[in-house]
Amino acid sequence: MRLIARFALEENEGLEVLTVYADRTERMRLEADERIDSIAGRHPAAIWFERKLHDDFGIAVDGAFDSRPLLHHERWPKLHPMRKHFDARTVLSSHPFKPYPYETVAGDGVFEVSVGPIHAGIIEPGHFHFSQAGEDMLHQEVRHFYKYRGIEKMLEGKTLEQAWPIVSRISGNASMAYQHALRDIAFAAANKPRSDRDRGYGALLLELERIIHHLTDLGFIPNDAGFGAALAYASMRAEEARRLMRRLTGHRFGFDALRDTVPGADAEAVRTFVRTLREQMRWFEAWITDIPSLLDRFDTTGVLTRFKALKYNTVGVVARASGVALDRRDDDFHRARGFETVTDDRGDVAARFTVRLRELFVSLEMMEKLLDGAQESLPDTSDASGEFEAYSEGALGELYLFVQLNNGRITRFFARDPSFMNWQALHLMMPGNIIADFPLINKSCDLSYAGNDL
Amino acid sequence: MIQFWEKRLQTGIVTEHKEYDERMKALRRELKDAVKKKFAGSLAIRMVDSGSCNACEAECNALSNPYYDLERLGIAFVASPRHADVMLLSGVLTFNMLPHVLDAYAQIPAPKWVITLGDCPVMQAPFEKGFAIEGPAGEHLPIAHHIPGCPPSPDAIIEGLLTFLGKI
Repeated sequence: MRLIARFALEENEGLEVLTVYADRTERMRLEADERIDSIAGRHPAAIWFERKLHDDFGIAVDGAFDSRPLLHHERWPKLHPMRKHFDARTVLSSHPFKPYPYETVAGDGVFEVSVGPIHAGIIEPGHFHFSQAGEDMLHQEVRHFYKYRGIEKMLEGKTLEQAWPIVSRISGNASMAYQHALRDIAFAAANKPRSDRDRGYGALLLELERIIHHLTDLGFIPNDAGFGAALAYASMRAEEARRLMRRLTGHRFGFDALRDTVPGADAEAVRTFVRTLREQMRWFEAWITDIPSLLDRFDTTGVLTRFKALKYNTVGVVARASGVALDRRDDDFHRARGFETVTDDRGDVAARFTVRLRELFVSLEMMEKLLDGAQESLPDTSDASGEFEAYSEGALGELYLFVQLNNGRITRFFARDPSFMNWQALHLMMPGNIIADFPLINKSCDLSYAGNDL
Repeated sequence: MIQFWEKRLQTGIVTEHKEYDERMKALRRELKDAVKKKFAGSLAIRMVDSGSCNACEAECNALSNPYYDLERLGIAFVASPRHADVMLLSGVLTFNMLPHVLDAYAQIPAPKWVITLGDCPVMQAPFEKGFAIEGPAGEHLPIAHHIPGCPPSPDAIIEGLLTFLGKI
């Protein structure tokens, strides 16, 4: 059974922990001692959720084999900001530096390599810690949350409309994924069905966002294998796609685009774009798959087996490239509009590259069939109360949103970014590869830091 | 590879076309001169993300695509702060990033400048100041110039760099 999320709510009666699986949600009220049992033995991906539960709420996890702080880095004072009595505007004072014990492998000649948080390029901050035997990676630890902005807490007390610009910017390159899911929540909260036309408009922009994302990766993955010409070509296509986004939404990333009333998309502009890009990417495919030295770098590099992809509850391209047919768009609505699940069972960089390329063509076909969408005004949720959840399949994978409202105001906001799952599986791809292949493997997964750190 | 060279010849230089009109040409010429005069031919930028949504980084990456091709003007993003003249700072400056940002700034050899990129570091973005956020950046670093936008477009970044070069 697939683990999707594990998080807590605080209400008058105390704390409650929700564990969301693909087929059910388990809820558990905590006793006064505020302890839970770890489920990390069965679901390794629960580790970060449980470490976060402790940092956010002070919940103790029995049976956890990793109880290091997750969000709270070396200089954090001891506090649990998601508790209701904690004021979001508190100014923290830096505490004395408390070293973080990294996971390392010991042995003769084994050494550690520390990378980040500031990397040698235009990339988001995060830390990678390697245990090396010469060039060979024995183990790698991913340590993140440098970008932890406290957004879950920031959103409490806001209406959905007030929250919109913030949710829209949790992760810039996944803005549509977040907005698409938030819009579902707004309709559910207003107890109003979201029409196919309304959903279609969001789906169109979500496919465009996926195309931009995949194009960027299709350039950067070969670039990290030393083939810069692919980046030059694909980055031009990504730029053109971003300009289409600006033409359709008035913004190059489509921030706030799914909030307002929209009569419809410029169908002719979309059709021309689709036609041109399809031609161009057919040429790209023929070109790139005919370069043996490049494919040699991709093949068998950074393998994630299907067994481990399932065990670690991975999502998105990472899961699909390891043979797991998991895609939130796999429903009647999307199938009727040209969707088909793309999988590859090799699990290596080549598979992740291929899945992206094939998904791009699927997205282009879907865009042509999503041209009749239009957006109604956002439904009134000013007196909505209750708990609502929504999913969307962004370029990075399945996003899960949970919003609890009380008289139209958010009392709990929880987002599980797809990258939160996939980052925890990244280290599985390293053993057997040399450290020079790390950037290539990492890029082939292309995970988000901003969405993960929140 | 023959396909590639055919395509290369067919495509030509794309930087000259579409909205890249005379205005951008003049702007680029001005920028190239400013870089030559003030930084002996090259301006080295160390981009540091202190807690952004990643859109600012995406736009900085876009500066390298053939439509903008920033590097041909002698402006390059460098890997180490020790190679840099300028720190281009995006993001809201999180509690977790602040010490690392200050560390990176300390590593840049003088003379050095900080340019804030986007609405986040000046706390004009929708993110509210809270416990995990140490912005605005001006409380921690001397800011020489600011490029507004959420995110600033590649054009706006080039224009912002030009204005900065005109100022110092």
